[in-house]
Amino acid sequence: MVVGEFAEKRDLVIIGGGPGGYNAAIRAAQLGLGVTLIEKKQLGGVCLNEGCIPSKVFAHAAKKYATVPHLSSLGISTGEINFDYSRLLKYKDKTVNRLRKGVETLCAANKIEIIHGKANFTAENRVGVESGHQFDTYEFNHAIIAAGSSPIKTDFLTDNSGRILSSEEIYNLKEMPKELLVYGSDYIALEIAFSYRSLGSDVSLILDGKDDFSFDHSINRELKRMLKKQNINIHRGFHLDTISTEKNEAKVHLFKDGKEKTITGSHAYLTTRQYAGAASLGIDRFGIATTESGFIETNRQMRTSIHNVFAVGDITAGNSIAVKAIKQGKIAAETIAGMNSEADLTFLPTIVHTNPPIAAVGLTEHEAIDAGYSVKASSFSYTGNSYATVTNEKSGITKIIKDEETDLLLGFHTIGAGAIELISTAVTSLEMVGRDEDLLFPLYPHPSFNETILEAVEGLTEQAIHVAPVGEKKVRMK
Amino acid sequence: MAEVKFYDIGEGMNEGEILNYFVEVGEKVAVDQPLIEMQTDKMVAEIPSPTAGIIKAIHFDVGETITVGTTIIEIDNGQKNTIPESAERTEKSAAVIALQTEQNTPQTNSYKRILAAPYTRKIARDYGVDIENIQGTGPAGRITEEDIHQFADHSTATNDTPNRIMDQAEDTIPFKGIRKQIANKMNHSLKTIPHVTHFDEADLTELLKLRKQLKKTGENISVVAFFIKAAAISLKAYPIFNAQLDEENEVIRLAQDYHIGLATDTESGLMVPVLHHVSQKTLREIQTEMKALTKKAQEGKLSMTDVKNGTFTMSNVGPLGGTGATPIINHPETGIMSFHKTKKMPVVMEDEEIAIRSIMNLSFSFDHRVADGATAVAFTNYFIELIENPSKLLLELV
Repeated sequence: MVVGEFAEKRDLVIIGGGPGGYNAAIRAAQLGLGVTLIEKKQLGGVCLNEGCIPSKVFAHAAKKYATVPHLSSLGISTGEINFDYSRLLKYKDKTVNRLRKGVETLCAANKIEIIHGKANFTAENRVGVESGHQFDTYEFNHAIIAAGSSPIKTDFLTDNSGRILSSEEIYNLKEMPKELLVYGSDYIALEIAFSYRSLGSDVSLILDGKDDFSFDHSINRELKRMLKKQNINIHRGFHLDTISTEKNEAKVHLFKDGKEKTITGSHAYLTTRQYAGAASLGIDRFGIATTESGFIETNRQMRTSIHNVFAVGDITAGNSIAVKAIKQGKIAAETIAGMNSEADLTFLPTIVHTNPPIAAVGLTEHEAIDAGYSVKASSFSYTGNSYATVTNEKSGITKIIKDEETDLLLGFHTIGAGAIELISTAVTSLEMVGRDEDLLFPLYPHPSFNETILEAVEGLTEQAIHVAPVGEKKVRMK
Repeated sequence: MAEVKFYDIGEGMNEGEILNYFVEVGEKVAVDQPLIEMQTDKMVAEIPSPTAGIIKAIHFDVGETITVGTTIIEIDNGQKNTIPESAERTEKSAAVIALQTEQNTPQTNSYKRILAAPYTRKIARDYGVDIENIQGTGPAGRITEEDIHQFADHSTATNDTPNRIMDQAEDTIPFKGIRKQIANKMNHSLKTIPHVTHFDEADLTELLKLRKQLKKTGENISVVAFFIKAAAISLKAYPIFNAQLDEENEVIRLAQDYHIGLATDTESGLMVPVLHHVSQKTLREIQTEMKALTKKAQEGKLSMTDVKNGTFTMSNVGPLGGTGATPIINHPETGIMSFHKTKKMPVVMEDEEIAIRSIMNLSFSFDHRVADGATAVAFTNYFIELIENPSKLLLELV
C-alpha cells in the first residue's frame, strides 16, 4: 500500500452513498458546493440494496398475491395461480438495479465526484481512501459522515448453514423458506413475517422479549388479530437463548420466567443490534462525541462535536430509518452552504408494510395520558368506509387522539388499506399545530380511504356518520 | 415534575445572571420557598418555588446569564407531569413509536413538541432566536409569527453579541450584570428618544434658609425632598412631562400619579429607586422614604417594586460637583432633571444691589417627540419658581 504524500483538496467530502449521503450530495451540488462522495460498496446503501426496497418488493408481491382470490369474485380469472419465487428475486434485483442506476445518473448529472473505496479519517480535515492498492488522501473544508450502521454478527450468525439469516440475507434466499421463524418485533421483522406468510411459508413470530408490539394499544390489538387471521403464530415474552442448526432445521431455544421452549423451522431470521461505523472510520480518534454504543451525536443542523464534520442517518443516535437519513442529509448540506435549516424528528412517521399496512405518528393514547394531556381518542373502523367495501379491504382502523382542553391533535394511528399514503395528512396536521376543526372543515374525496380520517376526527365529537350511535337516542315524535 | 423557569419579572427584561442558589439538588422545598437569586435589570430578584417537592436538577452554574423562558430548576413534585399554563409541553415520553428491538440503538428523540408551524419556525431561525424560549400566544399555545417578531425585537436590543471577553494581556472588567444592563438601557434610550437638554439656574437662598429653620426645630428635611415635592407639583401643571409615548398605539399616556425616580450612585453602578405617590406624601414622609431607598440601593437590597413604575427621574449630582450635564432619559419616561453644585455667587438683585446668593444650576432633558422647547422652559420656570420661593410650595400642598 502506498500512502500518498499529497492531499488533494476537496470542498465537501461525503462518506457513504446511502439515502443520507446521496441526498446530501445532490442538495449540496444544487447549492453550488463541489461534492466528492466516497462509497465502499454500491450507491443506495442499505435502504436500496438490502433494506427498504427489497422488503417493499416482497411486501408488494405478497399484497398482490393475497388479492388473487378477490379477483375471481370480480370476474377476472387467469387460470391456475402459481408463485415463482425465483422470478420475484429477479424482479427485486431488477428494481434495485433500476433505482440504483437512477441515483448514479442523478449524481453524474449533478457533477458529483464518486470515489469507490473505504474511507478513513487521518486528521480532522483529512480523509484517506483505500481502494485496492491505492491510497489517496483528501483534505476537505467540510465532511458529512453518512456511513450507516451494520448488523452486529452474533455467534449464531457466523453459522454457515445458511439457515440463520440477518437482514442482509433474508431477501437473497435462493429458495422460499418452508417454515420461517422470525425473532423480532420491529417493522422489518413484521414485514418479513407477513410477506413470507402470504407467499406461502409457515411463519412463527417471536416477539423479542416483549409481551406486545410498541404501537398504540388499539393498533396492537388489530395487528394481533391480523396475524391470527394470517395463521402466523406469535410467541410473546420469550428471550432468545441459543439457536442451533441441524441438517434441514433451525432450532430456536427460548426462555421466559424459568420456562423454556424450543421452536423448530427451516430457517430463522434474527433482528440484530446495529453498530455504527464511527470507530472503523477512525473519526473516534479525533474525539467526536458519540453515545455509549458508538452512534455519533449531532444537533438539529447535523453538526457533530468536530466543527467542520457533520453526520447523518443511521450512524447518528436515534432510529435507523431512511426517512431520517434523507432529511438529515439535506439539512447537513444546507447548513454547510450557509442556510438556516434544521431537522426535527418529533413527528417521524412509523411505517410498516404489513398487510394491511400500519402507519402512525405522534403520541399513542397511553403516551398522551402519561404526558399529562386530557386525552380524547376516537377510532373509526374500515368496515364503515364505503371504498374499503368496494376494494374488499375492510380490515383496519384509524385512530386519532386529541387534547380535550385545547383540541390540539396529538397522535394518528392507522392500520388499514392506504394507511401509508394517508399518514402525510396526519404529519402535516401535527406540524401545523392542527386542532380537530382543522381536519373537520376540509372536503374529503368520496369514496376514498381519506374518509377514515374524517370520520375518526368526527368521532372525537360523536358526529361520525358511519358509526352506530352511542347509547339510546331519543327520537322526537310529532 | 415541575420546571422553574426564568420568567419576565420586570418591564421588558429578557436576561439575567444567576447570583446564587438557595437550594441544592436533592433538597426538599416548600411552595414559595426562594430558590434562586437573579441579577436582572438594576435589581436582584428571587425566584420562588412554584410547587412543593424535591429539587431534581439544576441546569446552570452561578454566574451564568440566561434568557427569559429558560428552565433553571426541575422539581419532582410527585406528579407525573404538571401542565404548564402554556400548552408548550416538554415531556420526555417517546413520540415515535419505538420500533427498535430491545437490542437496538437507544431512543434519543425525546418528545419535545414545538407548537409552531414549519414556516413560523423558519422565521425564528432566520432571526437567530431559539423558538424553545418563546411562549406561544396563539390558539392551543401555538407560537405565532407575531410572537417571534416580538421576541426578536426584544432580544436583539439586548443580547445578540457573543459574550466573549478578549483574553489578552490587559485588564478587563466583566461587561455583564448591572453594568451591561445599564449600558443596554442607556443605549436603548438614546437611540429611541431624541433628547433635548434645557439649562437654567435657581436661587436656593430662601430654601436653604427654610431648611435651617426647620433643622432648628428638629426637622431635618433635605433640599432634595423639596425638589421632589416641587417636581410633582410642576408635573401636575405640565403633565406632558409625566408621560410615556406609546408609539405602537399612537398615543401619549399621561400618568395619573407622580412616581419620582432617584438616580443613585452605588458601588455596582447606577440605580434608580422610585419614590411612589409623591403628591400624596408629606415632606417628612418623602425625606424618610428617600433615605431608606438610597440605603437599600447602596446595599443592593432593592426589590422589584422599589424600581418599578417611575414616571419622572431626578438626579442630584450637586454633592459631587459640576455645573451642567445632559442627562439621559430613563426610558420610557419623558423627562429627567439633574441638579448641580450649589455655589455662593454675587447676584444683582431686583433693587440693583449686589448680594451673595446660593445658586444652583439644573439641567432638564426631555423627549422632543412628546414635547417642545417652549413647554420645557415653562415647566422648568415653574419648578424654579417653587424652589426659589418655598413659601409658594405651601399654596400647593394638599
